[in-house]
Amino acid sequence: MNGGRTSKGRENAVLYAILCYHDEAEVGAWPKAKDDAVIAKRRLVTDKLAANGKLGPVARLMPTTAATTVRSGREPVVIDGPFAETKEQLLGFYVVDCAALEEAIETARQMGREESGMFEVRPIRYFAPGSGAT
Amino acid sequence: MLYALLCYNFESVVGCWSKEKDDAVMAKHAAVAQEFAARGKLGPVARLMPTTTAVTVRAGPEPLVVDGPFAETKEQLLGFYVFDCAELEEAIEAARSLLEETGALEIRPIAAFYPGTGLK
Repeated sequence: MNGGRTSKGRENAVLYAILCYHDEAEVGAWPKAKDDAVIAKRRLVTDKLAANGKLGPVARLMPTTAATTVRSGREPVVIDGPFAETKEQLLGFYVVDCAALEEAIETARQMGREESGMFEVRPIRYFAPGSGAT
Repeated sequence: MLYALLCYNFESVVGCWSKEKDDAVMAKHAAVAQEFAARGKLGPVARLMPTTTAVTVRAGPEPLVVDGPFAETKEQLLGFYVFDCAELEEAIEAARSLLEETGALEIRPIAAFYPGTGLK
């Protein structure tokens, strides 16, 4: 994967993806006040990283009911629905720049305190910030 | 509309690719990304390390840290793209162009996106 001419990528071991898994039925049933409170709490964590220039892209995904999967084959097959049927679903991700794994884990801990769900922390092998899409 | 293209493949297969094969796949991917970049429609792209490097934090009053990925799936999430597409069909077309002999791409519309600050 490569960002192309306008967005030179980099290979390193200090960027981490924090993949957010949660029961989408539960998250979808949150009242707006609860959803806003969770987002505000997450932002307290990410604002500190952003202030230090250590916050990469953040995305919140639509539910897996909105997913389409394209599977490889001689003639790729397009299927409605997500790739995997899991109890908790991938609902978003953060990219953070951390000095060590421990810092990425601590970030995930702070996001997960007094919440439900799971955060998978995975080092990024290659990253390109992209160009223009906002 | 922004779409995330989530790349799943057998990490055992991908990990065994020769450098030539890996380079060829990356070059093919770069060509697809380049088309979007040229129109200012390319968001972030990441290739993840294998799930053997993953750590999972389970939320709770006192979050628990466990070595390993969240899910043990036959194919693993190995990376993602964010593309700005006029419609789903365009994202599906991009996914087709990115596929290898094995694996699958899941396309998911993005509800909220923040490009981040400072990472270069």
